[in-house]
Amino acid sequence: MAGIKVKAKLKGGVVKVKAMVKHEMMTYNMAEKKTGSRDNANFITHLSATVNGETVLDMSTSQFLSKNPIFKFQFKGIGKKGDKIEMLAVDLKGKTYKGKGKIK
Amino acid sequence: MERRKFLSMTLGALALAVVPASVRAEDYRKSKPAVWTAHTVDDAIKAMYGSTALTMEGVKLKAPDVASNGGAIPVDFSTDKDVKTIAVFQDANPEAAVLVVETNKYSVNNYSIKIKMAKSGTITIVAEGKDGKLYAAKKTLDVALGGCEG
Repeated sequence: MAGIKVKAKLKGGVVKVKAMVKHEMMTYNMAEKKTGSRDNANFITHLSATVNGETVLDMSTSQFLSKNPIFKFQFKGIGKKGDKIEMLAVDLKGKTYKGKGKIK
Repeated sequence: MERRKFLSMTLGALALAVVPASVRAEDYRKSKPAVWTAHTVDDAIKAMYGSTALTMEGVKLKAPDVASNGGAIPVDFSTDKDVKTIAVFQDANPEAAVLVVETNKYSVNNYSIKIKMAKSGTITIVAEGKDGKLYAAKKTLDVALGGCEG
């Protein structure tokens, strides 16, 4: 199952999140070399995170993130221990990837 | 089998229902497509922000001087300024843009990501301040082994 691993930790009022999206992140050049067609390129184009229905991360991305990219980001003013953080990624082909984590 | 089908359909429907509410604050790939196809950093910054007048302060950028593996180069960036968006560019790959973050009221603007670079080059971080200034930081690094496989 494709998905996102999410780890979140609350410390000093700031929630620090570490997330990994399992994704090939195929660039146009790689696709051309490996499969002969640039159309086979596929990568995460958008990543977001929400806590209690509020967006805490909103990121548009390109093919130049590493394979299985890791994102670390921080937020404050929302979320307490035990709250769920939900992440959603969309790739170029429109497939969605989801992940959930608890703030520790 | 029936049940499985039903479950996957329900999940699919849920996913569709969730997307508009949580994701589409602004998708810069849709609203500014030119950013993502620009071949040089200057062109990409211009497409994104309409100007290339950068103020070289207020943004911290951390990346290794020499990256042994261009397939996953750790890049940390942060800013204390009050910013609307932060964008990451580099000049080693066919296109310049790597990502654009839209900040929100909860954001602590401190991020770590891993990027690919095909060869040695310069990473540029641009943070669009709410005061209209473009705060930026650059870092040039050597890449020992290219990460885009040609």
